[in-house]
Order: sequence, then C-alpha cells, then structure tokens
Amino acid sequence: MKRVLKWAMGVALGLLVVAFGVLSFMAGSPKDALYMVRYALPHMHRGNLKVGDEAPDARLLGLDGETRFHIRERTGGRPLVLVFGSFT
Amino acid sequence: MVQIYNDYKEHADFLTVYVREAHPTDEWQMKSNVKDDVCYAQPKTLEQRMAIANDFTKRFKYPLPFGVDDMSNAAELAYAAWPERLYIIDETGHIAYRGGMGPFNYKPAEARDWLAGRFGVVKHEPPSGAAATPAPAPAEKPAAAAEPKK
Repeated sequence: MKRVLKWAMGVALGLLVVAFGVLSFMAGSPKDALYMVRYALPHMHRGNLKVGDEAPDARLLGLDGETRFHIRERTGGRPLVLVFGSFT
Repeated sequence: MVQIYNDYKEHADFLTVYVREAHPTDEWQMKSNVKDDVCYAQPKTLEQRMAIANDFTKRFKYPLPFGVDDMSNAAELAYAAWPERLYIIDETGHIAYRGGMGPFNYKPAEARDWLAGRFGVVKHEPPSGAAATPAPAPAEKPAAAAEPKK
C-alpha cells in the first residue's frame, strides 16, 4: 500500500513538473508562469456567450471623461465590431 | 485591427472597449512593455484608467471609436473579455462572431473573414517595405493586452 502511495505521489509530482514546464514555455519563463498563475488566470474566463445570443450591454465612458454611452446604443444599424483590450 | 477598420468602416461600426490592464507594473509586467516604455500600474481609479486610455490613443493615433470600461469592469465581465477579445454583433443585436480569449486565440483574421463574407474581400498590395499601420500594442505572447491592445 505504501509503495502504491509513493508511486502515485511520484506520478503526481511528475505531472506537476510537466504542467509547470508547459506553462513556463507558454508564458516565456518560470517567473512569468508564476505571474500568470497569480495575476492572469484568475481573470481569464471563457464566458458563456455564444453566437446567436443577445449581446450584453454595459455603460462605457468616452475619452473626454464626460460622455457616457451604452454598447447597445451602437448596435442596430450595422454590424458592430467590438475590440476589447488594454495598453499593456 | 486598424487595417480592418479602414477596410470595413463604410460597412460596419467599430468600438474599442478599454478594459483593465493586462501587464501593469504592479502585476505581471512584461519585458517588452519596459522596452516599449509602456509602464503603468493597474489603475485604482477611473481617472487613472482614463489617463492610460488617452495615452494609448494619442501614442498610436488610434482611429477606432473608443469607450472605457468603468471600474466595476462591467463590460469586461459581461463579455469575458480580459485580456483581449473580439466580437461582432449583428444588426439585430445578437452575437454573430465570438472570438477566442487573447492573447493566444485573439484572431483579427477571423473577424476580417466574417466581414469579408458579408461585405466582400478587401485586397491589399503585398507590402513593399513601407511600414504598416501601427499596431496599437505588441501582439506578443503571452502579453495579453493591446489591441487597444489591443
């Protein structure tokens, strides 16, 4: 029994190392992999939206800091391409 | 995206939604951001977020219509849009194209294909050494953002 447990732990550890290796490769370095786990993964969600769903609305602020408008105000006449992102 | 915007702005509306930073200095900062002098802490106030959004649009002379998500991140959460993502909403207000989660599955070419399917292909001459339209942000891996970033 002890031997099986030891073997299982070894396999688990090996998988963990491989997973971290893959993540490090994807992120660029082991340090980046750690940051990815700490800062990126908690905010990354696939979401439930799918093609055909009604587009959600949200209120946005214009670059002047004063104008407020809703995403759905921009829909209706023509297709609307939404580009989400940030500077960094 | 700027090129796609220029190609299809007569047929479709565009809106860039600026969401929380992907690689701020106080979180997961990328070396490329230091190299490109794109160093910002994660905004804690709407004013700080507005300042970065304005820096971005001015630096790249970014031509797409622009909106900034508020500090509740309502737009980002509604569209599962962090760090970057593309959608197309059709004339009836329904999702017509749902892009993958950036940076790895952020594929402007797919949005272009959708637009080309509706409005026809826009062809360009092969690059002759001239600089392309400046990208809003480096699409490096795994840098999340930037189309506005991005």
